Order: sequence, then C-alpha cells, then structure tokens
Amino acid sequence: MADRRATNRAMFWRIIRRLFGANPGRLFVMLLALGAGAAVTAALLNLQVDAKRRLTTEFRAFGANVIVLTKHASLSGSETLPESTIRSVPRNLGNARVTMTASLYVIATVLSPQSGKSLSAVVAGKNPRLIGWVAPANASSLAPVGSPAIPAGPICMVGGRIGKQLHVEQGSAIILSNGDQKETCVAAGLGESGGPEDDQIVTDVRAAQRLASLLGRISAIELTVPGTPREIGSYIVSLQHLLPDVDVRPIRQFTEGEAKIYNRISGLLTATVAIVLLLTGLCVMAAMTNVAMERKMDVGLMKAIGGSMRRVLRLFLAEAALLGLVGGIIGAAAGIFLSIGLGKAVFGVAARPRLIVYPVAVALTVIVAILSAFPLRRLASIRPASVFRGEA
Amino acid sequence: MFLRIVADSFGRRPRHKLLTGAALALGMGVVTAALSVSLDVGDRLAKEFRSLGANLVVTPQADSLPLEIGGVDYRPVNAGAYLPEADLPKLKTIFWHNNVIAFAPVLEVRAQALPFAREGGPLGNWIEGATVVGTWPDRAVPLPDRREFQTGIAKTNPWWQIDGRWFSDGAMECVVGVAFAQKNHIKIGDLISLATGYVTKIPAPLEVMGILNSGGPEDESIIVPLSRAQSLAGQPGQYRKLYVSALTKPEDDFARRDPKTMKPDEFERWSCSPYVSSIAYSIKQILPGADVRVIRRVAEGEGAILTRVRMLLWLVTAAALLAAALAVGASAAASVIERRTEIGLMKALGAGSGTVGFLLAAEQLLLAFVGGGIGYALGIILARLVGEKIFGAAPEPSLIVFLVIIALATGVTILGSALPLRRASQYEPAPILRGE
Repeated sequence: MADRRATNRAMFWRIIRRLFGANPGRLFVMLLALGAGAAVTAALLNLQVDAKRRLTTEFRAFGANVIVLTKHASLSGSETLPESTIRSVPRNLGNARVTMTASLYVIATVLSPQSGKSLSAVVAGKNPRLIGWVAPANASSLAPVGSPAIPAGPICMVGGRIGKQLHVEQGSAIILSNGDQKETCVAAGLGESGGPEDDQIVTDVRAAQRLASLLGRISAIELTVPGTPREIGSYIVSLQHLLPDVDVRPIRQFTEGEAKIYNRISGLLTATVAIVLLLTGLCVMAAMTNVAMERKMDVGLMKAIGGSMRRVLRLFLAEAALLGLVGGIIGAAAGIFLSIGLGKAVFGVAARPRLIVYPVAVALTVIVAILSAFPLRRLASIRPASVFRGEA
Repeated sequence: MFLRIVADSFGRRPRHKLLTGAALALGMGVVTAALSVSLDVGDRLAKEFRSLGANLVVTPQADSLPLEIGGVDYRPVNAGAYLPEADLPKLKTIFWHNNVIAFAPVLEVRAQALPFAREGGPLGNWIEGATVVGTWPDRAVPLPDRREFQTGIAKTNPWWQIDGRWFSDGAMECVVGVAFAQKNHIKIGDLISLATGYVTKIPAPLEVMGILNSGGPEDESIIVPLSRAQSLAGQPGQYRKLYVSALTKPEDDFARRDPKTMKPDEFERWSCSPYVSSIAYSIKQILPGADVRVIRRVAEGEGAILTRVRMLLWLVTAAALLAAALAVGASAAASVIERRTEIGLMKALGAGSGTVGFLLAAEQLLLAFVGGGIGYALGIILARLVGEKIFGAAPEPSLIVFLVIIALATGVTILGSALPLRRASQYEPAPILRGE
C-alpha cells in the first residue's frame, strides 16, 4: 500500500517535472507574467507604507506647527517662560525627532552706523545653537548670500524689509539698544520670506535676553512635530499633560492644512495602488488562464490513459502553485530593487524594505496562479477521443 | 482570403481570443487609470494646498516697519501707509486672473471696546487697546467685465472656524476671537461698542454673531466689516494688508531667478508660467505703491510636497505600465507559441514566412485595438471613481491618454508576439505536422 503511494508520488513529481521541461518558451512566458505582477505588488506595497511615513516628514517644510506659551497670557503677552521649560519637552515621537526653537521677542532701537539710520524694530532672540532653525524653508531664504566672510562678531539675521529701510548690507555692523543695554552684531540674511521675519532682526537668544533684561526667560517655544495628524494631536495632549503650567497650542493654519493634504494624498496613493494591484492581478490571471486553456491535449491524454479528473486537476494545480511560488520569489526579489529605486527617486532615501511585504507578494502570486489554473476544471467534460480526433 | 482567415481565427477560438483581449484590456485599464490620475493630480492638489491659506501678501511700499509681536502691532495708530480698496477688482484682470482664487484685504486698528450683555447693561469697563481687524468675510466683488467674484477671508483662511456665523458685509455685526471672548465673558448675541481716541458718547454697538477660533493671533481680536475698521481708523476706502491665495506651479531653479536679469525670451517664458513669483510680479504691476511678497513658508513647503507627490504617482504609473506590458506581452507570446500546428499547415500549403507573420500580426493588432479601447474605457471609469472619491471631481478624459494607450497596446502586443513569430517563421512544416 505504502509502496504504491510512494510510486504514485514519484510519478506525480515526474509528470510535474516533465510539464515544466516540455515547453521552455511557455514556462518563460508564465514566469514573466507572474514575476512582473509580483515585482509590482511587492514594490508598491512597500512604497505605499513608506511613502505615507515620509510624507509626514516632508511637512517639515512648512515649519513649526505647535507653539508653547505661558498659560492665560495672550500671544502678545509680555509674560515669559523660564528657559528650562524647553528641557522638559520630549524630543522623540516614534522614530522621528521633534525640532524646537526657543524665542524671546523684544522691541529695540536698531541703528546702522554705516548709513546712520535708526528705527524701532522687533528683535527676536532665537536659540539656533541648541536646536537648529525651525523652518528650513525660511532658513534657506534667510541664509547668507554671497561670499561667506568670517564675521568679526555675532551674526544677526536681518529681515528683507527692515534691511531695505536701514540700508544695511551683508556684513555691515548694526547696533541694537534698549534702555541702557546695547548689543552689536554683523548683519546677514536680508532675504524676504513673506512672513513676520521680514520685519524682524533675529539674533542669539542670550543677546535678546540681555537687551530685554530678562535673563533665563523666553517668550515662546516653537515646535515642529512630524507625524500623521493623529500623532500630532496626541503629542499636543501629552505635552500639555506634561507641562500643566504652560499653554500648548497647535498652529491651526498648518496642522489643519497638513491634515487635509495628508488625508488626500494618502487616500490617493491607497486608491491608485489598490487599482493597480487589482488590475495587475486580473491581467496576470487572464494571461495565465490563456496559457492553461491550451492544455487540452495534455488533459485529454491523461484521461485517455485512465487518470481521474481529480488527479489530473491536482497535477495542474500543483504545477500552477509551483510556478506561482517561483515567479513570486523572483518577482519579489526584483520588487526589492524596484522599491529601493522608487524610494530613492522620490524621497532621495531608499525605502526601507518591510519584510512582511515579500511573503504577502509571494502568497498573492501563488493565489493568482492557482486561480488562473482553475478554469481547467471545465475540461472535465471533454471526451478524450474527440480531442484526439482534433474536434474540440 | 486574408480577411477570411483572420475572421475565421476569431470565430473558431472565441474563448482564446477573449482571454488575450481581457488581459490586454485590463492591463491598459491600469495604465489609463494611473495616467489620468497622475495627469490630473497636480491641479487638484494645488487646490488642496490652498487650505494652507494665502501664499502672497501685499503691503504698502511706503509702510513703516510693523512692530508686530504675536500678531499685535505696537505701532502708533497714525504710522504707516495704506492702499486703496478701490483697486482690488483689478486683481482679477491680471494675466493670471484665473489662478487667483481668493483675496482678502485687512485693516487692523487698536481701539477701545465696551461689551454689553444682550439684555442691556455693560459687561465691564472699556477694554483698552483691543485689536480690531477689519476684513471681508465673504463678498461679491464686482469685476470690470460686469461679472462678480466671490471672495473673502473665509476663503483665504479656510482653517478659521466660526461658532455661530460670519457677520454680513456692512451690517452692524462682528465676530469675536475665542480668547478675547473668554477673557471678557462675551457670548454670541452680546453687543460691543468700539471707539478710538477720546470717547464723548458711546457709539452704536455691533452685535456679536460668532466666535472665531483661528489658532492664531486673531483669537485675541474683534473681527469687524472692513468699512467699520476704516471709519474707526479714519481711513475710508483704505486697507493695510492683502492676502492673496493663488494656484501656482512649484518653483524650480528658473523660477527663482531675478526677472531683471532675464533675456526677453526668458522673461516671456517666466511670466507665462504660473510661478508664485511671476504672479507676484504681475500683481505688483497693477497695484501701484504696493509691495508684493511671497509667503515662503507656505509656497516653498507646498512646492516641495507637490513635486514629491507628483513624482511618486508618475513612478507608480510607470511601475503599473511595466507590469501590464509584461503580462500583456506574455499573453501575446503564449497565443503565438500555441499555434505552431497552424503555422506549420500554412507553410506546408505554400505560405511564405512573411505572409504567415503578417497574418498573425494583423490578428494581434486587431486584438490590440479592441483591447486597448475597452481598457481605456475601463480605466477612465476607474479614474473617475478615484477622482470623485478623493477630490470630489473626476478627471477629464483626455485624448492624449487615449492615443498613448492605443499606441502602447499595439507596441506591447507586437513586441510580445515578435519573438515567437520570428521563431515560428523558421519552423520546418514537416516535423510540426508530424507532431514532433
């Protein structure tokens, strides 16, 4: 009994081997269709997961989206926060980092000794050395233009409009004063950003603190929180919980706009990927079925020499599953490279391969392959004799 | 005879042809859907990005420097310059008037405010130094060509949430920022009197129609119709700041160049692209004395993300195209491989390799046209579904996509069949017919 089963099994595999070997052209065609489908499935699934995450980091370009102020004070308030508050703000949100800038605003008299002009302006003391600039977009437009001469003193970024009114140029000295306090710095920047920075002079937070005689105090902390709208919301709630003495507010212009855009883009991406995957699957299936339907002769022959339809079908399904497995593995391997390439092209960083994607892609390919072999069942009704007579 | 053979081949094996055609149609459907969405997405997303608010700000050129901290201007009331409100309809006459989707003038005044409860009786004393923001909430601006343009702050700043409703233009109504309302215990339906300078008689009050939550400095202020703020400031028909929300093309290196250094043809190309800087330039041309600045924070963030998303979708499209092409090609190849006997027979009857190849190619081409056409229709329907679901508007079917699809279907089928056809032309008829 066991002997017969072993023989049966050996025969089964032998037939499968023969089926593969019989027509290398057809084998190649089937592997190509299955492999292409699997490669695109793997690459798109991988990219889809990765792209959504990357998009949220792209929103950094809009700059700060959360602001920390003193409780009950108006945004205009002259009240200040202790500088140590910034140390209690959590820096990490998942894998991404929250960037922050502490700032202190003071109205001071600005004098340009070169042109002899002077006016009152808002001086914003920011803390770039501790945490970097909040808005990279603004920072780039405010970055020094021209040859980077080594400044003789501390640098202050002069807004475009204030620079025009003061007639200062890159590298000329300006004097900031408030009461008895005086600070000197070298002008840089002079770019226009369209925001309030155009009318401000940005200097080191320590200098602003000395000017305002408010040592160790800041007006506000601006945070750039990356993440999905929900992650940002829960970060705000937990930060408020952590720092009950301050007021944590989302900058709604950006949080809401970002949320809306994020939802649109991720919906678009999901829909596109779903359609592409669905149609690719169907397309591969149609191509495969086409090939499978050509097996009439094989089925006829097997039935003629006494194969039951169940066994015949099992043979062809096993063949299809094997093909799906091989095609899927080849395709998924190609998909890794495809998704790395796509990620590099779009975000400049290779998409991190997600291992779960590959078994899923291979499994889907096997399923598609088996499903496309299923129409062979319809051949159950054919009579071997008519096949050989060339009738059907 | 040629047509008869082709027709016969379709008639004899309908299921077979149907499957090859289905593979083609599905593959081309993927490509059509992905292509239509990618072509359309730039414009749609650019519109979505307007939910971030204005990307251009217009201020008077001769303006003194605002001493603004947290949105409150510490300048004396009389300092600074203004711009005339009467010039605003001109914004819709610039070359890029269709790209200007909203604008709103703003005039800020510092005033004293005296809130009343609805039932009468003051809620407190005069509040000194309240910020009063005059603007248009929603207004039909008459255009020079007798049409009207609906615009206002509700369009330029769509994130502003109003509890209650906006005031109507010109009515004795106002809206109060949420922080200001909380601090002074003002509710919807209360009244507020506003005055500047020395108050001899309490002016007619405005009714509070809504509470504004903007998440910005406006939460601390009272929003009133522009004309109210103008009479408070003693500057009839003037405004101080104008927010413009325009649809733009992401800036590239060319867009960032100074228009003054461009050659005439470069300048023409620059001003004929809806870059935010060229729109700013054309607004500056029609508003004398105005300084038009790009709000970099919004414009550059938008540009960066738009470029990325567009590229992402193009790549998804390319990947879909590749997969569809391979599957369709495979299907075409399979249908040729399986017809060895037929080819053998035709050759045995004296057909040359060229004739056989031509015959089979004609069949495949016919299939490509039909499959491509069906696939195009299928793809358009899918693209419509996606577009409507996500953006609420379907992409327009485009002729270019149709031509691309038909060309692609033809190319893929021919390529897929070319290799097996070439091999088929080398077959010796005798062994094939013998079944070897």
